[in-house]
Amino acid sequence: MQAQLGQLYNAVPPRIWLALGVLVLGVLLSIVVGAVNRRLLERAGLPSIIEGTGFERLAQGLGTSTIAIVAQLSTYFLIGLTIVVALTVADVGYTDTFWTRLVAFLPRLFVALLILIVGILIGDKVELLVAERLRGVKLPEIGLIPTLAKYSVFYLAILVALSQVRINTLALVVLLGAYAFALVVFASLAFKDMLSSAAAGIYLLLNQPYTIGDQVKLGEQSGIVQEVDMLVTRVETDNREYIIPNRAVFEEGIVRVYD
Amino acid sequence: MSMLADFLNDLVADVDGLFLFSPSSSFYERFESVETGLVVVAPQNSVGADQFVELPLEFENVRDRVRFGLEGAMDEDLVDSGDVVACALGTFGDDSDTILRVRADEKMHSGMYDLFTNSRADPSVIRDVFEVAIELGKKGQKGSPVGALFVVGDAGKVMNKSRPLSYNPFEKSHVHVGDPIVNVMLKEFSRLDGAFVISDSGKIVSAYRYLEPGAEGVDIPKGLGARHMAGGAITRDTNATAIVLSESDGLVRAFKGGRLILELDPEDY
Repeated sequence: MQAQLGQLYNAVPPRIWLALGVLVLGVLLSIVVGAVNRRLLERAGLPSIIEGTGFERLAQGLGTSTIAIVAQLSTYFLIGLTIVVALTVADVGYTDTFWTRLVAFLPRLFVALLILIVGILIGDKVELLVAERLRGVKLPEIGLIPTLAKYSVFYLAILVALSQVRINTLALVVLLGAYAFALVVFASLAFKDMLSSAAAGIYLLLNQPYTIGDQVKLGEQSGIVQEVDMLVTRVETDNREYIIPNRAVFEEGIVRVYD
Repeated sequence: MSMLADFLNDLVADVDGLFLFSPSSSFYERFESVETGLVVVAPQNSVGADQFVELPLEFENVRDRVRFGLEGAMDEDLVDSGDVVACALGTFGDDSDTILRVRADEKMHSGMYDLFTNSRADPSVIRDVFEVAIELGKKGQKGSPVGALFVVGDAGKVMNKSRPLSYNPFEKSHVHVGDPIVNVMLKEFSRLDGAFVISDSGKIVSAYRYLEPGAEGVDIPKGLGARHMAGGAITRDTNATAIVLSESDGLVRAFKGGRLILELDPEDY
């Protein structure tokens, strides 16, 4: 019996034994790393951060969780790496070129997947946060904004992930540029007056050339200042309240009246 | 105990509406099928009721709470004047332990709901000032009772009807009531004489103001001091609301239009 085992041991080259050892060790190690990863993520409070996001709900629907998926991913990555190392040790010559390229590619794929998952999570979270922020605004169409924010983040994540695996993303980048450009142009057009009012408002709030209770005259209107905020100054007379954009205060100047 | 059940039946017989004060969601669900006249009165509409009156303060006094709910409902036309309604509320705890029957009519109208919702200042600002005054009344300044006078809203006019007693500590500052640091600041500044002036949006415009309203025609109970008189009078001359913490009896009183509207004991909150 023992002799037979000895024969078997001798029949297989030591190199193969080494490779098998590496394989077993690697698989064990990757399982441990996966478990440690899961613990670390749970400790970092990730479950409560991503709670309620669409991705987490989807994962839960499939009987798993985001953390489990991420931990699994790291395990699979390490197992893949182990197999490659084991094959190299075993010196399986004919696959040489193929494997070296795969080894170079594997980490990238892993990072790309990770970026994709993180991007989806952040997108979902952004949608939730924006929706929360806009909840006070009772306007049905406002629901579009959180969705838009979500898909913007998704788009960015996909872009980064694709460039990670070296797929040509030039067209997509150009599209993103056009989108961002349009956003900036439209926003600056739409908010032009508000922005100039806000800039004036910052000066008014910091230096307070006039303050609540002062008698002022602005163009034809005169009255008592009731409120100065970032965008407007409220001036009141006996039965009228003028809401004057701060921009106008700067363009026309304001007269303080003493009597 | 069938007499008791009969009495309860009499109490809720022919009511035109049912008011639930801060109901738990399971309690609310039991009444959800009531079709007309179901009104929820609570700090937040957590049960998603269709007819809802927001309570700005958790009035500890049951009469105040019911009165506020009824006034709010009358103001928003949820009940008509003359309707008889049953109220379910918690007197000693959060759970509903009390049923009472009340007629909603003009006599119930004390202006309490108006004070919060129809003042010049934002309702949340009035509520924040109330909270500051209540906390100040509870703790006092370093253990000894303290008085304070807050004039909220219509700050421009109030500033023109008052003069500074000394330099304004809030000059060129941008402090709003409701900011977390403000309670401490106001507590420290309450040592100063004079009134705090707060704008419609809650900005603290000034402290140390000596109010100079005309005091004729102000109807406030006799026995209240100069602080209350000044606070009451300024609300007659302007559209402001005055919230006064009395140094002698420790009560918080609110004035509007020269009238005493609301009286609260800080110890209850």
